[in-house]
Amino acid sequence: MALPLPAFVAKRRADWDALQALLGRQRSGALKLEELRTLDTLYRRAAADLAHTQTFYPGTDAHRFLNQLCGQAYAAIYQPPRERWPAVRDFFRRDFPRTLRREKGFVGASAALFCLGLLLGALVVLWEPRGAELLVPAGVRQYVAHGRMWTDDILSVAPPNSVASGIATNNLTVTILTFAMGMLFGLGTLYMLVNNGVHIGAVGAHCIREGMARGFFDFISAHGPVELSIIVIAGGAGLMVGQALIDPGELPRGQALALRGREAVKLVLGCAPFLAFIGVVEGYVSPGSMFPTWVKAGLGLSLGALFWGYLLRAGRAEADGAAVPADSAS
Amino acid sequence: MSTASSPHLDVATPERVALTLPVAGIGYRCLAWLVDASLLFFFWIVAYFVFTLLVSDVLGVFQGLSGLGQTLLVVGVFATQWLYWTLAEVFWHGQTPGKRALGIRVVRMDGSPVGLYESAVRNLCRAVDFLPAAYATGCISMLLTRQHRRLGDLLAGTLLVREERIDLDKYTTAPAPGATPAAAGASRALTPEEVELVLAFLARAPGLQPDVRLRLGTRLVDRVGGLSGEEREAVLASPERLESFLRARARAEV
Repeated sequence: MALPLPAFVAKRRADWDALQALLGRQRSGALKLEELRTLDTLYRRAAADLAHTQTFYPGTDAHRFLNQLCGQAYAAIYQPPRERWPAVRDFFRRDFPRTLRREKGFVGASAALFCLGLLLGALVVLWEPRGAELLVPAGVRQYVAHGRMWTDDILSVAPPNSVASGIATNNLTVTILTFAMGMLFGLGTLYMLVNNGVHIGAVGAHCIREGMARGFFDFISAHGPVELSIIVIAGGAGLMVGQALIDPGELPRGQALALRGREAVKLVLGCAPFLAFIGVVEGYVSPGSMFPTWVKAGLGLSLGALFWGYLLRAGRAEADGAAVPADSAS
Repeated sequence: MSTASSPHLDVATPERVALTLPVAGIGYRCLAWLVDASLLFFFWIVAYFVFTLLVSDVLGVFQGLSGLGQTLLVVGVFATQWLYWTLAEVFWHGQTPGKRALGIRVVRMDGSPVGLYESAVRNLCRAVDFLPAAYATGCISMLLTRQHRRLGDLLAGTLLVREERIDLDKYTTAPAPGATPAAAGASRALTPEEVELVLAFLARAPGLQPDVRLRLGTRLVDRVGGLSGEEREAVLASPERLESFLRARARAEV
């Protein structure tokens, strides 16, 4: 016959309290090596007590308490290795470019969708000038009608709702949304890619029609290659998520999603520092006439070449020998 | 109080003991979000007031910002959108200040703490869960999934568990000395449910109305005491004697 519950609690409580105190110290990172051994012993005892309460005192507060205590101790003892600086370095040197190369089908599809949008937008405006009224923001049209670039004003006196600063603030939002809307079965990503393509294509075509082609390319050349690449990569990640939802393969949908989502988010996280860097370029170099066009174009092309060179070459030597992880579905 | 039907996360440990962690529902999550959102809100209010104290011509300053300044501003706004949540969850073992206040915690599907990846993913998806307004998508997803997970949780393979404050003192509090009545012959052992019932009554007794306190106490004595005649009368003489008898009974001392 089991002990009465209060007697059991009174007998074992000292160990539980000690375990709780040790867990608190573990959280604040003040644990010594000997204490770690004690923690392990106490956790095993608490687990045994939990099994005991599950049998003899189910549904009592003591049961719930032990459940929670063991849950916390379990989380502390069996925690996965921490991500530290070497892991971050390793991620950018090998993991990120490799993941991108492995998932190049998705990135390619994303690029194709974006180009499709670009073509659509450009063709609509070139063939039917009134399409510009629909696709090009009114502010931009006003500036172009006056024969100026709307971005010229950033470094001088900016109007409060300057379109360019709007685009700059939108970069992050667009990238994140393009990826995250993949959760809507990939349809959101599809929409974001085509929509952005249409808009950029339409604005470009409108500028060309109005004889402002030089101004447009002057603005876009410095940051365009890298920035559009990043949006395309984020789109690829979003499409991966959508694919996992639509066709999870042999796994349950939830598991497939978690597995593929891990790969997909690597692509987005990898892009983050480049996005920040290109944001500075867009804010500093692109607008105004501080730098001549050929400098901007050269800078943009070389940045783009560097970016893609890194993506396609980095970590390649070891990658080809190593087996591709089995969890890549494509 | 968790019952068998409320959502929970089952974890199989290498010690061959199954853990059952209660899952935080939509109410806890909304409250935690409100706390976090108001923290961020007040941060921006304070930042704004400090800024206006230092600079008189606010609009002029914004208009005169260089490209770098604008970029920094964007990064600041972004930080409240994403960095705040991710850093808090990574460094505070799955808790933002709001989650800490509500006693809920983000864990992986196997009960282990979240890492940078999981936290980054679930917070990147905040943007989608928020659509079209006020977390409508996330709320629908939480209502439809068994473990109340929003889209970001589904993608990252995480969920939120609840941590209750459970007081073990009620088991170990000794009855007031001297007041314990004489042992009543052959009394049976109480089941754990009866012990819980008695202890729950004792924990709440000081806050009850006197007549309710006496009535419930009498019913409990009749159920668990096995007393009759003058023994019962002696126990029921005063609330103090009654509760001290019940406490001793729960501790299996009589």
